[in-house]
This record gives sequence, C-alpha cells and structure tokens, in this order.
Amino acid sequence: MSKERIQISEALYDIMPSDYQDLVKSATYGKEDRGWKDIGTSKELIEQHSLCAGCPESMAFRYILASLPNPEDTVMVGSTGCTSLVFPMVAVHNIHSLFGNQNAIASGLKRALSVRFPDRVKDVVVLAGDGATVDIGLDMTLQAWFRQEKFTTICFDNELYANTGGQESGLMQKGFVAKMAPVGKLFDKVRLPEIARESGCHYVVNCTVSKPSLVEKVIRNAVHIAREIGPTYLQLYTPCILEIGKNSMEGLQEMRDSEKPSERFAYKEYVSEPAKQLLTELAAKDKERKAAAKQLAAQAQAN
Amino acid sequence: MAEIKSVIGTQNKKGQTYTDTWKMMNEAPRTPSFFTGSEVIKEALRRASCDVMIAYPITPQSEAAALIGELFAEGYIGDYFRGESEFAVMSQCAGSAFGGARVFTTTAGPGTMRAMENFPMWAGARLPIQMIVTCRGINSPLSIQPDTLEIAYLLNTGMLVWHAETAQDFFDWILKGYMVSEEPDVHLPLALCCDGFFVTHTKDVVNLTPADMCLPPYDPYRSPVPCMDMECPPVRMMRDPFVMKSNYISYATHASWQQEIWAAVERSRKHSIHWLNGLIDTENTDADIVIVASGTAVSQGREAIRLLEDEGVRCGLVKVKTLRPWPEEEIREATKNAKHIFVPEFNVTGWLAKEIRASVPNHQRVHAGPHVCGGMTMPPEIIVSEIKTALGMKTFSLAGRGS
Amino acid sequence: MSDYRVLPGPEHFLPPAAASMGIRLPNPGEAHINGVITSEEAAYEEAARQFLMAKVPTIFPGPLVLWAWNEKAAKKATAIRHLFNTLKECVQPGQKPMLIPMPDYRPKYPKINPEVEINPNHPNLTIWHNKIDCCIFVGVHCHQANLSLKIIRGGTSCYTIAMCAQAGHEDAMLSIRDTSVEKIMRLADTIKRLKGTVQPRLASAN
Ligand SMILES: Cc1ncc(C[n+]2csc(CCOP(=O)(O)OP(=O)(O)O)c2C)c(N)n1
Ligand code: SF4
Ligand SMILES: [Mg+2]
Repeated sequence: MSKERIQISEALYDIMPSDYQDLVKSATYGKEDRGWKDIGTSKELIEQHSLCAGCPESMAFRYILASLPNPEDTVMVGSTGCTSLVFPMVAVHNIHSLFGNQNAIASGLKRALSVRFPDRVKDVVVLAGDGATVDIGLDMTLQAWFRQEKFTTICFDNELYANTGGQESGLMQKGFVAKMAPVGKLFDKVRLPEIARESGCHYVVNCTVSKPSLVEKVIRNAVHIAREIGPTYLQLYTPCILEIGKNSMEGLQEMRDSEKPSERFAYKEYVSEPAKQLLTELAAKDKERKAAAKQLAAQAQAN
Repeated sequence: MAEIKSVIGTQNKKGQTYTDTWKMMNEAPRTPSFFTGSEVIKEALRRASCDVMIAYPITPQSEAAALIGELFAEGYIGDYFRGESEFAVMSQCAGSAFGGARVFTTTAGPGTMRAMENFPMWAGARLPIQMIVTCRGINSPLSIQPDTLEIAYLLNTGMLVWHAETAQDFFDWILKGYMVSEEPDVHLPLALCCDGFFVTHTKDVVNLTPADMCLPPYDPYRSPVPCMDMECPPVRMMRDPFVMKSNYISYATHASWQQEIWAAVERSRKHSIHWLNGLIDTENTDADIVIVASGTAVSQGREAIRLLEDEGVRCGLVKVKTLRPWPEEEIREATKNAKHIFVPEFNVTGWLAKEIRASVPNHQRVHAGPHVCGGMTMPPEIIVSEIKTALGMKTFSLAGRGS
Repeated sequence: MSDYRVLPGPEHFLPPAAASMGIRLPNPGEAHINGVITSEEAAYEEAARQFLMAKVPTIFPGPLVLWAWNEKAAKKATAIRHLFNTLKECVQPGQKPMLIPMPDYRPKYPKINPEVEINPNHPNLTIWHNKIDCCIFVGVHCHQANLSLKIIRGGTSCYTIAMCAQAGHEDAMLSIRDTSVEKIMRLADTIKRLKGTVQPRLASAN
C-alpha cells in the first residue's frame, strides 16, 4: 500500500483512537532511510505487547519494525510461540496459522503476491522461534531455501520452547538441563547458520540484538537480498530471561556476554557473490542519494 | 463486486473471455469430449482463472496434478510448484489464499491425513481454497485403491465437502465450487471428493464448456476477513490473532468464531442449491425401498435398481451431492415413504449410514450396507442381494464375503 | 422456514448462530428483521424507529470505512457522519446518540477503553459501559461483525442493526445488504422523516 493510502477517512478522523491518528501522522511508512534512530521521534509500528517485562524479544521487534525498508508493502509471517502475542499489535499485515509451517505459508504468500502484483515490490518476512524454525518446521524452513523462495527468514533464538514453559529445543546448548531434557541436552546446538548457507541462503547472519544499529543493517540487507536474489536467514539471540532465571534488567547483559568472540553468538556473516554485488550497488546508490540530498540542502541554503 | 462486473467480457492473457459463470455453465454450448477424470480436472482448471496451484504426487491424483502443471507451462495458471509434503502444500495453499489468490490443489488418502492439521485452520481462517480429494485407502497396509474412509475425517473440519459421482460432476463442480466457496457469506474451503481410479482413471464422455471462456477472477476485497496484502484495512492486523487469552470473555470469542464457521457452512446451502440444482438428486422416492448413496456408489445403486426392476422390485434413489452442508431436510423428505433405506458405501465404517441414521426418524429403517473397501469393486448384484435378503426374498449367495 | 427469531438478548450462555437455527440471509433487494425477510423499505423504517426510540443509539463504523483505502470508503465515511449528524438533530432531550469506532479486531491488552472504541472480542464491554440500547454496525468485515453480533446478543439487551456491504447478517436483529453511500443516506432520510413520530423509551432508573 502506498503511504498515501494508509490514511484515515477525514469524516471520521476525530473519533479514531489516538494510536491510529499518531500512526498516520508520524509513523515512518514510505520513509526511504527509516531505521532504529526513528524510535523515540516517530510513531513505532508496534503498539503494546504482552511479553514478559524486559524480554529481549520486545527490543528485537522494535528494532526490526523500525528497520524494515518497505513496511507499507511488507507482509510478515509468524508462528506459534511467544512472538505470536506481539504480532496482533504490529502495524504490518501478518499471518499466524499453525506451529512450524511459517516458511510454507510464506512461500505460498510470496508467490500469490507476485502473481497479483507483478509490477510492485511486496516483501515477505518470516519471524519465528527456534522451535518453529529448527524443530517442528525444519523441513519447511530448508525446503523454502532449496526452492530459492524470495523471502527473509528470521529466527528468534531463545534456545528453548519458551511459550510452552521452557522445554528442550534443537537450538538449546548441549548439557543444558530443561524440561524434557532432565539429564541435560544430549546433543549439540543445531548449526542452522551453516546449514542455511549450504541450503542456498544468500545472506546469513548469526548475532544478538544488543545493538540496534547492527539489527538495522542486517535487516535491511536481508530484505533487499531476498527481494532481488533469493532466501536470506537471520538467527538472532533473544534470551528467554524467564526460563534462564534472569530478571528483567539482565537481558541486555546476557546478550553482550554471549556475543563475545569465543561465544556462540559472536557475529557471523555469510554473503553470497551475487548478494555481495547487490550490496555494493545498493551502497553506491545510497551514497549518491545522500550526496544529492546534501547538494539540495546546500543549494536551498544558498538561495 | 463492481470491479468483477467490469472484467466480464474482457480477455485474459490467453485470450479467454471472462464470462458470467451462470451463463458459462448453463447457457454456453457444450462440447462432448471423451476424457479421463484426470484430464477433466485439467480442463476445468483451464477455465477456472486460478492464480496458484500447488502439487504433490500421490496416486491416484498425480496425473491430474501433473496435467495442471502443463496448463501452467501454457500460461493458464498464475503460479505452480511441487511442495515438499502434503502438510507443507496445504500450508502453502493457505499462504497464497491469505495473500488474496484463487488457489487449487489435489490430494488423496495418506496425503489428506498428513495434511489434516491444515484443514480446520483453513476453515477457521475463512480461506476459500479448493482441494480435490481422489479417495484411496489410508490405513496400514498401504493401499492405493479406492476407499472413501478419509472423507469421514474431513466432515468436522468446517470445510465444505462435496462428493462427485462422475467426471461430469467433477468438471461442473470444480467451476461452480469456486462460486459457492468464494461467496462472502460462505468463504470457506471446499474438499471436492471423488472415488479414486473409478473417476480419475476411467474415460467418460464429458460435456465441456467452451475453452475460450473462463471464470471471473476472485476478488479478495469481498472477503469476510481482511486479505493479507497491505492493500486493505486495518493495517494493524494479524490473521488470526489468539483470542484465547483468559481475559474478559475471550472464550466466548473463540466459541463465537467456531459457530461462525459452521454458520458459514449453513449459508452455503442457499448457494449450493442454486448452483448444483439441489443438494441431492432423487429418483422414484415414492418407492418402499430407497437407496441413499454418494460418489460412485450412486452409479452402482442405479444399476442395482435396474436389476431389481427386472425382478419386479421397485426401488428409489437418493444421490447425496453435498456432505457439508449436510442435506438433512432433503434426505428426511426423500425417505419419508421408505420402509427400507439402503446405504452402499466404499469404506469399512459406514460413515454415510451413520449420518443418515442420525437424520431420519425410525432410523432402524437404515441398512448400513453393503460395504466394500480396500479397493474392492461393488458389483450391483451385492446391493441387489442385500436388499432381497432384507426383504426376505431368496437370493443367490455371493462368493468371497462369508455368509 | 425456521420459527427461530433473532431478538435482543441476553439470550443464552452461548447463543446459537442464527444461521444454524435456519435463518437465511436476504437476497439482493431484500432485508431482514428478526430473521424474517422483508422489503428494504420496511427495514429502513424499522431501523429508523429503533434508533429514534433508543436511549443511546450508537453507530459503530469499522475499518472498511474508517480508513480511506479507496474513494468509496471515504465517501461512505462522509455518509456515516451525515447519518450521525441527522440522528443528533432528530433525537429528543435525554437521548444520547454516540459514534464509536471499531478501529481493528485485535485482542487488546490490558483492555480497551470502552469510551473510545468497541472491540469484536468483547463488544459487550462498550455496550454495557455506555448503556447502548441500539447500535448499527457498518464497515466491519463480515466475519468480525458476526462474532460481535453473537456476543452482544448473548450478553446484552442491545438491539443490533447491520448495514453490510456484502450479503447481510442474520446474527443482527435487522440487516440491510449491499450497503452503498445511497443506502446510508436513505436511512438518514428515513430518520429525518420519522422525526417526532416515535416515542423514545423514557429514561428509566439510570
Ligand atoms: C502442532 C503443534 N505442536 C505443539 C504445539 C505447542 N507449542 C506452541 S508454542 C511451542 C513452542 C514454541 O517454541 P519456539 O518456536 O522456540 O518459540 P518461543 O516461544 O520460544 O519464542 C509449542 C511446542 C503447537 N501449538 N502445535
Ligand atoms: S517466556 Fe521468555 S521468551 Fe517468552 S516473553 Fe517471557 S522472557 Fe520472553
Ligand atoms: Mg524458542
């Protein structure tokens, strides 16, 4: 939808809740260089949520929604889990249907949107938990990549099944004692980033959400590459503070601790050759655009 | 609505004319053609203005699904691909339908069962997907042979469930099916079932509508729920949000939601009657004996009636076309004179007989049988024999079924 | 023909969907009152009468008209405003017309403010809080409208009217289908015409 069409009917504007008045007045739909810095100065696309207080998933959501390059033409796909309590509050159309089928839904959705809007950009972004992505939905996660479906898959890796009370998941660390892992998990954390690369993803990042600027960068890259080239995968550490026994202030530190060079969420990135080329082109265009804007501003000042 | 009307009379990229469906189905000239059931599915799809078809091989629908691939290659279908499993395929179909596309798929037996979690989701999400089910055996040991047990599992999903007898039914109902399931007051998925092999792999004369006419396209903005394409309000929208949180009266919301799905099935009655010319077909229902059946059991019943006539036994016939919506009143009316109601079925449990027993007064009149299953044929003679035995008439003994 | 009637509640712990009780939707050109098919003319008259009788006649516009997502939607919004203004002009002292949006369908945490909105997951909160005794749904997606209408019938005594852009709603006490700008204006005209001829329910204890 073009930004112009996200408008309240004039005759009924005054009765709309202020949340929506703000959304049309100051959300950053259609803003070319939208990003995490808009948080605080513009209306965010997420309204309220019912995650645990201090849950890093809420931070991740805010950064991601602030960074999507094209929210007015993006449809998101979620799965069952803690994230599904946030999605109703997100001002981007989004789908939840079953647990684990998110990449199948996204495959069908992306193709439908391409058939219906052949001349327009419609981005599809999946956002699901680790249980959904790696365990119950692994088949559909991988097959979408094999087929080179053009959408982004984001996994909120909290290393367990949070929504059902903290059971073992494939992305849990070996040895961790959890429900359904009564003597500690017996096998290694599944290496999905490597598998993603081998499965045909053109952009893979493994990191935490401690730094909003980094989240912005990887989201923009992932969406642009998925749009033009093929599947992309982001695995973001969003620790479940409830289940690992941290309090609400400790999520950020937990992420910082886990992203140290020797740790499992040290920043890792893979970019395919065609994706590298695209990123170079995009960077050049960005530079051009900024230079033009600067020039325009200088001219305006001169006049 | 206005948008759709304006498309009628214009041409698609294949040069087919978008035609008013009623005219296309009921007034346009028909060409008799000798085709297999699978080829008939392809011909229906050629005329269906379908946006997305998603396929997965399983006998006996593989041929039809592959033929639709050819249609895609020719440019008649918006997109087409092979999914990785029936579970994934049905979710992919859902994704396309959430995104506002007219969607088609086919499956059978174990495929239906593999995908089952999707079907109540489709119905709950009001996705008007059409799925052809070419029924085959589902239990171990594996069987690819015709058997209608899987239909029993579909009956409580909230989907519309129709049961075609012939390839002609198939051709007409695929096209008419979209008209019923896309009505905004219905807007539900349709499982269009047939008995595998008997319909899919036999050749029959089918009267086809002109190949240069096609259905008007689906309009997702008449949907009773917002389409997920970021083109319609509300912008802050999840399909479908969890309403089960234990606050306020949210349980009532879920209950109301479920009721609404079944209300939509009820609303499909009016439209199904309009398009299918009634939910049942009847012949001679003033007779003392009436056979009630669906699918190819109807054909066998019709043949049995002819044999019985030769022996002076008059027998009526009820062909049940729609299982959901369930034609309760129609069946009650059509069997009101019957002293005996026979329900021949191609499955071991006799689910149709159970439905009928629950619908008619004096249900002891309902004879659940004869049954065959596992791919057995149902010779009309065994229906004749079942009826004559019940009437206390002398009958020949049939080999192979014990007593 | 069913002898079930769609009447103001509170009807039941879990009231049935009217469709499951045999109530059928009107065909184009028709309307229904209490589940009985009538002419559109009769429905306009009855809707206007119910509005003029009510203590708190309320319009609930939904997303399809609150958002100017196409030209028709914006025009309908203008017509709805006109309907509301007409209602205000035509009621008598003591009656309190309201215009409350249903901006979206999401479950809201921790809860909605019943003074500024109605939500399909617990529409009764807004009805109870504002003592609404007659309401009209317009511009709400059909599925969500039906959820709300059933919950309202289950737990409140509010008279419900649905002006539907599609096939109408049998879960409302009165429904007009294929709603256009013209039809909204026609309801406004009918209210104007009946002004003064209908006795409002007198303010009782509250
Ligand atoms: C078919 C199916 N199996 C199991 C469940 C139960 N279930 C709901 S959420 C969930 C765990 C989600 O874990 P994850 O994907 O890691 O998300 P998180 O809650 O940790 O964010 C499970 C097992 C379900 N809803 N559906
Ligand atoms: S259970 Fe864990 S992941 Fe879920 S909201 Fe709470 S802290 Fe976050
Ligand atoms: Mg998890």
